[in-house]
Amino acid sequence: MRKHSMPESNVTHPNVTPLIDVVMCLIIFFMLVAKIGVTSGAEEMTLPKAILGQDIKDLGNTLTLNVRNINQPLPMVTALLPGHHDTTELKFEENRGGKIERPLLDLLKAARANNPEFKVIIRGEQDMPYRLLEPVLFVSAQANVKNVNFATETVQAKK
Amino acid sequence: MRIRGSKKVHYDAGPNMTPLVDVVMVILIFLMLAGSFGGVERYLTSNVPIKQSGVGQAAVDNTVPDTPLEIRVDRNRADPSKFDVRAGRIAMTIDASTQESWLQQMDQLTEALKQMHQELNAAGTSDDKIQVEIHPQKDVPYAHAIHVFEAVTDAQFKKISFAQSHE
Repeated sequence: MRKHSMPESNVTHPNVTPLIDVVMCLIIFFMLVAKIGVTSGAEEMTLPKAILGQDIKDLGNTLTLNVRNINQPLPMVTALLPGHHDTTELKFEENRGGKIERPLLDLLKAARANNPEFKVIIRGEQDMPYRLLEPVLFVSAQANVKNVNFATETVQAKK
Repeated sequence: MRIRGSKKVHYDAGPNMTPLVDVVMVILIFLMLAGSFGGVERYLTSNVPIKQSGVGQAAVDNTVPDTPLEIRVDRNRADPSKFDVRAGRIAMTIDASTQESWLQQMDQLTEALKQMHQELNAAGTSDDKIQVEIHPQKDVPYAHAIHVFEAVTDAQFKKISFAQSHE
């Protein structure tokens, strides 16, 4: 009886085609989902937790304000301004050669005047006293910014 | 003349994939490490940032003023991890020290606010005439004010604003 033997394989290396297929799919996924080099100016801080937080689709019309407690009567507010690579401190009031200027208010007023859809995102440390948030809300109201969003860390509600 | 080797079968006919795999793997690892993906950050939206109380306004027309619903948020004197919420007949102390207790008590607050909302509607006050004002104490942590804001939002109130802090 004739014996059936395994055909002799001429290919000595593994077939990498399925590997390339999978890796290419992963690369396309990561390229679509990853946000590389895109920053909204959000700084690292512990945000308050919330369940009902929503996504903001239109981040183009927003300015993110980072509000921090520096143990002063007013908080430190920083934001990423257009044309800057890093966040800049925006003071409530500053004296420039005898002239009192309000950089935060002026910035919000200018942004609001040019864009009726303008929104502010407030990122505040969860332990910061409310009195430090108050001046930021006042300035937003003075600048006629109606849409104020509070950044929160999402937690899952128990079912 | 017979050329030797002309009949030799060339088995490795495909392109060499090794450099491609090398480059693709490097790109993949770079994207996995450098990419920042949709995190857990979300936003609570308010259309009325702050309301200044005590400032008189001239009556310019005959519109009926909004029905104010004042919610006070105070730091608990005995335990700083707790906070007191008072709104009309609602008086609750919320323990924010653990997530479990906080979520449970926030549910109770939301239910109480929903009931109050329904009663106001039943009395003939429409949603656009109910102005909820959250009055946090000066030193109440921002997170507690946000928790109350979230409960009010969950109770389907439409006009919610923060008010000036109190001592």
